[in-house]
Amino acid sequence: MALPLSSSGSGGLFKLSKKSSQRTLTPSSAAEYLASLKAADDDALAREQARSHSPTPARDVVHASAVNYAPSIASTPALSFASTAPSSLSSPTTYAATLEEDDDPLVYPDNPPTSNDPPPSALHSEFGYCNNEEYRYTSSYRDGTSLFPQHQDPPMTILLATYISYLFLIAIGHMRDFFGKRFWPGYYKHLMSAAGYAALNSDFDSFYTRRLKLRIEDCFARPVTGVPGRTILMYNRVSPDFNVSFKLTGQLTRALNVSSYNYLGFAQATGGVADAAEESIRRYGLSALGPRLEAGTQDLHTAAEALVARFLGVEDAAVISMGFATNSTTLPALVSRGCLVLSDEYNHASIRTGVRLSGASVRLFKHNDMASLEQILRESISQGQPRTHRPWKKILVVVEGLYSMEGTFVDLPALMTLKKRYKFYLYVDEAHSIGAIGPHGRGVCDYFGIDPTEVDILMGTFTKSFGAAGGYIAGKKVLIDKLRTINHAFAYAEAVSPPVLTQLTAAMASIMGVAPPLLTPVGAINTQSTALIPYSHPGPAPAAILPSWMHLPPALLSGVEGNTRLRRLAFNSRYLSQGLRKLGFIIYGHRDSPIVPLLIYNPGKMPVFSRLMLAANTYPGAVPFVVVIVAYPATPLITSRVRFCMSASHTKADVDRLLRACDRVGDLLDLKHGCPKHERWTVDEVIDRAVELVHMD
Amino acid sequence: MATAVNSTGVLPDTTPALEPILHYVSASLSYVYHSFLSIPGSSIVIRYVRSSYQNDPFRTVLEVILLLFALRTIFQSRTRADRSTKNYVQLSESEIDELVDDWIPEPLVTPLTPAEQAQLNALPIISGAAGPKPKLASTGKTVLNLASYNFAGLANNEHIKEQAVGALRKYGVGSCGPPGFYGTIDVHMQLEQDLANFLGTESAIIYSQAFSTASSVIPAFCKRGDIIVADRGVSFAIQKGIQISRSIVRWYDHNDLDSLEEVLIGVEKEMKKKRAPLTRRFIVTEGIFENDGQMVDLPKLIELKEKFKYRLLLDESISFGSVGRTGRGLTELYNVPATHIDMLLGSMATGLNAAGGFCAGSRVVTEHQRINGTSFVYSASMPALLAVGASEAIGVLRDNPGCLRELVENVRVVRGVLDRLECIEVPSHPASPLIHIYVRSGPSQGSTLEVPTLAARKGGKSKTTSLEPAEPVTFDIETEERLLQDVVDEALAQGVLISRVKRLRGQEASEPRPSIKLAVSAGLTRKEVEKAAGIIRAALLKVLGRRR
Repeated sequence: MALPLSSSGSGGLFKLSKKSSQRTLTPSSAAEYLASLKAADDDALAREQARSHSPTPARDVVHASAVNYAPSIASTPALSFASTAPSSLSSPTTYAATLEEDDDPLVYPDNPPTSNDPPPSALHSEFGYCNNEEYRYTSSYRDGTSLFPQHQDPPMTILLATYISYLFLIAIGHMRDFFGKRFWPGYYKHLMSAAGYAALNSDFDSFYTRRLKLRIEDCFARPVTGVPGRTILMYNRVSPDFNVSFKLTGQLTRALNVSSYNYLGFAQATGGVADAAEESIRRYGLSALGPRLEAGTQDLHTAAEALVARFLGVEDAAVISMGFATNSTTLPALVSRGCLVLSDEYNHASIRTGVRLSGASVRLFKHNDMASLEQILRESISQGQPRTHRPWKKILVVVEGLYSMEGTFVDLPALMTLKKRYKFYLYVDEAHSIGAIGPHGRGVCDYFGIDPTEVDILMGTFTKSFGAAGGYIAGKKVLIDKLRTINHAFAYAEAVSPPVLTQLTAAMASIMGVAPPLLTPVGAINTQSTALIPYSHPGPAPAAILPSWMHLPPALLSGVEGNTRLRRLAFNSRYLSQGLRKLGFIIYGHRDSPIVPLLIYNPGKMPVFSRLMLAANTYPGAVPFVVVIVAYPATPLITSRVRFCMSASHTKADVDRLLRACDRVGDLLDLKHGCPKHERWTVDEVIDRAVELVHMD
Repeated sequence: MATAVNSTGVLPDTTPALEPILHYVSASLSYVYHSFLSIPGSSIVIRYVRSSYQNDPFRTVLEVILLLFALRTIFQSRTRADRSTKNYVQLSESEIDELVDDWIPEPLVTPLTPAEQAQLNALPIISGAAGPKPKLASTGKTVLNLASYNFAGLANNEHIKEQAVGALRKYGVGSCGPPGFYGTIDVHMQLEQDLANFLGTESAIIYSQAFSTASSVIPAFCKRGDIIVADRGVSFAIQKGIQISRSIVRWYDHNDLDSLEEVLIGVEKEMKKKRAPLTRRFIVTEGIFENDGQMVDLPKLIELKEKFKYRLLLDESISFGSVGRTGRGLTELYNVPATHIDMLLGSMATGLNAAGGFCAGSRVVTEHQRINGTSFVYSASMPALLAVGASEAIGVLRDNPGCLRELVENVRVVRGVLDRLECIEVPSHPASPLIHIYVRSGPSQGSTLEVPTLAARKGGKSKTTSLEPAEPVTFDIETEERLLQDVVDEALAQGVLISRVKRLRGQEASEPRPSIKLAVSAGLTRKEVEKAAGIIRAALLKVLGRRR
């Protein structure tokens, strides 16, 4: 698989929309078209042959080395940290991208294991080695903690500067459009009606994208390679034309990854979970070949569903091949015209899509504000449907467990009280919270100690904590069985792919731990049998649910590894959140949240923050970080922010580095407007008193 | 002002108390005025305001009202109720409490009907790999599979599997992020490039689920006020995309391009009459229809689209990877350059036996979706190993045209058996590897080879704004579904896995006719296909033959 990234074809790969669509081939006749396809075929064949003759074909090398080094980890752990996988990435000439990391601090542990320590179970670049039991914490709700978002307000000067910045950007953008349309009409061709066709995207609609987002385009959609684990390999790129197009330079940068949704660190190409996934590719191939309701149901699907139900402590669950689609295809199946959906104002786009498709009425309530919700509930129930005053058929309250831009947990205890009084149905989207919070990683219910069966519909995704893809819907058996017949995805969308199912099954089982095999081994588990398993929360996974061919290493089977990951994540999350607060930053969200948003406000500071973090020259010994910056329309206009996603794969030293880098960049960009100066700590103090900080309220 | 309006009796009492306040107000006003004057250029502003407001109290009043209105709009709560309307009933708190106590919601879902329960129970569960000859979990028997999408027979291809394992060992499984935030892996870019090269378009964009592709691409381009002219028989995914786009929709008769032309002429007239500004206009249809296997006449369609200056959105979810010499789809079958199709949608889950969907087109089209395609932007990108699987599948298709020749041969075998049966109707195109089977209703009319809707359009014209055709075919859903399920069960008992098409009754735009779906595969040999077709024929005859 030759990647022409920086070869002759590289220019085309990243050219952006500015050029007219007619730029390349529009063959006038079918014959020409076929001739061009033939040429493409021949070209591909030639490349194929060249590849098979060359001594080191790209993927084979990767594969071969993976096979070689997997056992070597087990035997000589301390020696196998640096070499293998990265070196195989840099060697094949087809990739052309190179990585020089002989002395990269990111691939060696800061405190390497001694001969007394248990050997590390993973590659340090994927999952950091951290053996210090002090750096652990258990994520659970402490009574009296307020869940209502308490946002610190920045000084007025910052707000004012932010508004002025936007005004400037918009004014300059309009000026550029005004002159551009007159002097360089070629650049605006695709935004104007032409030859009887209206523009696909008018200049007005695309103004924000062209004139604001394009300025900081280099901070988005950065191409990466390898595992999105503790570190990530990023392709360096340059733009010759002010971010309209990008060229890969052929260099890779290894950066600390505080951006991927890899909460429990299961994004790994090595280890027991990946071994199981490989086995499943060999046994099952890549696809279930169709929708679930036709012939796309495999034993793996029913096993995964039984395990998910068991994991959550509910009767039944259904898995769907895409997280977004889990919401957008389930909500229309649940509610329809005459129903009311009360949705948190910061709910995800997939929920909004689903509600729009359903035809139900929607009202938004203020983010996590239970008073606002109650007021709307009282009003809607008493007033009934608009005009006719007929009572609503059903009211569905849709919330997220952990809000991905805010880092706030839903106020579930208060919500349950409201639920008893107002008899609405509750839909909790646990896309980010499942696996990531709670003493046993079972999401918000676990975190607050609420029986999950009291929530009507639990939804979640496997993309985040489990390093897989897709989503689930869980609840009562009656509900899930019905959803299997009326959910769009079950009838029409492809079923979850076998390796993805295996990844999530193995990851989930290793969080639960696996109970010793039952005396009577059961073959294929039918979904019906899940109802018979008595509810015990949190219980280990019965071995009978797992595919018989899946052999997990003892550390995963016992649940020790899963438990360590949960506690490491909780420590890292709390440490970063508390640490940044102590340094004086304005941080949103709950302290136990693995999502830590750092407020930046000013649009001009966003790209600078992102670039400085990547540049790794803010202090001696700094390492590059890839960070996510988010602005309008994902957030309100003024509260632009950086969003850090913590992971169990980070070590304390990684968080220390992040704090140091933020400290420097924060001083440079004047971002510290949080806690008053006298309460602040220096960065050294924060790092030294990390454990104390984490246990502080 | 306010005090002056009050009755004179009150005024003397309040004046002494107010005096210091008024004094203070006037003092601060004059201070503000003087400090404003000290700003350079302020005199110009004052002069302008004075001259424009002179002798025009009406304008002042109007502007004050406008300002108040603007402020009211700004400060109004977003979750505002219609309190202001006449319809709002003022209730006391205790009344609200009572109403809350009285309100009994409907159950969240109705329990399964016996038919639905039976459908779930009858669901085949495959033990081990899905493919041309899978093993069923219930009986442990190996069956011939004509239910799974495996047109080119790429399932369980050892080469693809090896490459996928290599990708797993390099990238892990999940991408752990949306494409905008470090979820753009090099293999995704490679796959997009491969798809574009394969189809001959300028570029392509991949989505992580095929079903969500159409319902994301359509609203990315079609906004409120735009015009969509769509086929009445489009798949569920497209229906949802059209629904969410909120565009103006006009329907034309299923796979009837004459009807399309009439609708296009109608829309043109309508727009002329309304003197509507030029809006984006789209024709939305499928290559091979998922709902019945008919095939669109692509050259004619392109001719119409270019004549009326519409953009064409063609969903090739079924035809990509299954028709044409190397599986490039309808464009290859009809020798039409893919660049003539503005948005070419396809499924990598169906056509390449991997996962996800794609949209190929010009760079403007694909780049637009990178910001506006909801399920692209807000969803994690597809697992790297599946992207590699798709890329490798393209390579296999390109290098082995033989597998599609086998598919054509197998389709011919199945059609040869089915077309001779009296008790069924086959609406699908003879070249389509997806074959639908209807129960023939009433006495036989015409030959089965004829595309039925063309014949159906002999009567009056159908209304373009409604989904209902002029002369809807009537059928008894319940009976037909039961009969077809009997056929499926019978065939399974004889060792052939086929599937009744599962519909979302009550959620579809118009209820499609119950059918059995055969997905012919190149993974089976000619002998096996002959055997399977024979068994299906026997099952059909056994169940449907005894009906009359």
